[in-house]
Amino acid sequence: MVQVDTGTLFFAAIFTNNILLTNFLGLCPFLAISREFRSALGLGVAVVFVMTCTAGINYLVYYHVLLPLNLEHFRYIVFIVVIAAFVQLVEMTVERYFPALYYVLGIFLPLITVNCAILGASLFMIIREYTLYQSLAYGAGSGIGWMVAITAVGAIREKLQKSAKLPRGLEGPAITLIITGIMSLAFLAFSGMIQIQ
Amino acid sequence: MKKRLFSVVYMFLITLFFTSMVSAVKLLSEERIQVNEKVKLQRIVLNVLGILGEEAPSDAEVLGIFDQRVKTISAQERTVYVGYAEGGRTVLGYAFPVGGPGFWGPISGMVGVDSGATRILGIAFYRHSETPGLGARISEPWFTKQFEGVKLFPIEEDRKIFYLKPEGTGRAPNELDGVTGATGTSRAVEAFLNRELDRFLADFRTSLEKG
Amino acid sequence: MPKPIGNAQIIVNGLWNDNPVLRQVLGICSTLAVTNLLVNTLVMNAGLIFTLSMSCLTVSLLRRYTPMRIRMMAQTLIIASYVIVVDITIRAFLPDISEALGAYVGLIITNCIVMGRCEAFARNNPPWPSFLDGLAVGFGYALVLLTIAMVREPLGFGTLLGYRIMPEGFTPWTIMIMAPGAFFTLGVFAWFIKAYFPKTGEEKKEG
Repeated sequence: MVQVDTGTLFFAAIFTNNILLTNFLGLCPFLAISREFRSALGLGVAVVFVMTCTAGINYLVYYHVLLPLNLEHFRYIVFIVVIAAFVQLVEMTVERYFPALYYVLGIFLPLITVNCAILGASLFMIIREYTLYQSLAYGAGSGIGWMVAITAVGAIREKLQKSAKLPRGLEGPAITLIITGIMSLAFLAFSGMIQIQ
Repeated sequence: MKKRLFSVVYMFLITLFFTSMVSAVKLLSEERIQVNEKVKLQRIVLNVLGILGEEAPSDAEVLGIFDQRVKTISAQERTVYVGYAEGGRTVLGYAFPVGGPGFWGPISGMVGVDSGATRILGIAFYRHSETPGLGARISEPWFTKQFEGVKLFPIEEDRKIFYLKPEGTGRAPNELDGVTGATGTSRAVEAFLNRELDRFLADFRTSLEKG
Repeated sequence: MPKPIGNAQIIVNGLWNDNPVLRQVLGICSTLAVTNLLVNTLVMNAGLIFTLSMSCLTVSLLRRYTPMRIRMMAQTLIIASYVIVVDITIRAFLPDISEALGAYVGLIITNCIVMGRCEAFARNNPPWPSFLDGLAVGFGYALVLLTIAMVREPLGFGTLLGYRIMPEGFTPWTIMIMAPGAFFTLGVFAWFIKAYFPKTGEEKKEG
């Protein structure tokens, strides 16, 4: 049982322990998609939603199904199945009821399933023994943190593309990584901000 | 229709196969994992009691030494490890597990105190989820070594057993260095560890009185 | 149908031309976090190589029987099973390292490379070449990450595999232990590779 209050956990997940900038999770789509601010934002919102919900669902499954049956070593399989199923469900719902949204987000949704960050959030929540509310707060915070990171880097890259002339070797992954590194450094500064009583 | 049925059956079969494989591996290694856990705990106990010193004995040796020198008792609903000196007659000290909320997750530690519960022999933090490079530094030797020799007394009003101050600013012997940049973790540790130590002292006194 | 290529070429491709990290910066999520200590990186990479090669082998063996529609699910199941085996094994034989690796071993499942290789190669090729491909790509990946670890650990801790290698007066670059250090190291590495060894095999890349 963690005594950190849920609100602090939420803010810390966004800033001081950002799932991408501190825990390195969710990098793959990050490097491919973050070229454009809009698509980064869209993907980010989808990730927040999926991450929060799956954190909650996985919590319930783990503590009420897996543990009582002594099957917790299967959690990797179960969690990813839950995530995949949930994303599939979301995709079907969005396609049917919000076709405009589907047009924008369509291709991203399947990508979310293999986003390390989503599985990572669920796994971390188990290791850190959060309660249900803490898990939801952590999932939401991590999702928002991921979104903040990806949109910020996306915006910087877009700007860089328009205005700067980079040495050929730096283009693409190299400069993205360095920008991410600087951003990670900047976020470290937040660690003085979060206080607990 | 036939294709669908085949898909379902296929999925079912390979799921069965692979989950069996995983379960088999788990069963085979279960015992080993448990032994590992046991040795790990025993090693920590021996370390905080100061029985091990600088060497790092093998797993088998740890089991042997623990058997000879430590007795596990249960007192006031907690497990206490009683460490004996070489001869096996005099009590060296007591080790007991402590736990409390850290910043990111629960922190588990082990404290060793001398036979009169007057000072700390050693501590170790062996499980936590703190930020690597920041809060996680509480498991580093420079941090844990500070606790050796700290005097224990029941906590009154606003006098704590120890304080964690910004690195380098501590003046009294019980003002120890916190981890720079890990205010959350440092505060959490200061809070729960003081509490746990106080609780142990209270229990200890009661046990002593009972004899 | 792409022309079948020789086994030697497969290995070279895996290690260099198609090296997932250097070319596309894929799949670094799970391992980058542990590159601040060389020994952790070694164990993590061993796990990945095992998972990758065994998954490719299995997917390839089953390729004629797996219905198209469910192949993603099947692949995920196969990969996840091997990862669990790796996790249990590390926990049984290297418990301290297992604690350090934490949840990252489980994240090998979502590692883009494993799924990517199964889809791109193992699905369409016979077992032995698939296995080799998995091994080669895995080793290529490992090489890059080990290089990063060999920069991060000495600069950040002053040690390599636990042995002190930096001179006494060396002030460790703590930044290297923490997240930014990993990003910078990999970024500079990618820059170096791209500047001196620009993409050559692009036209030759098979599907």
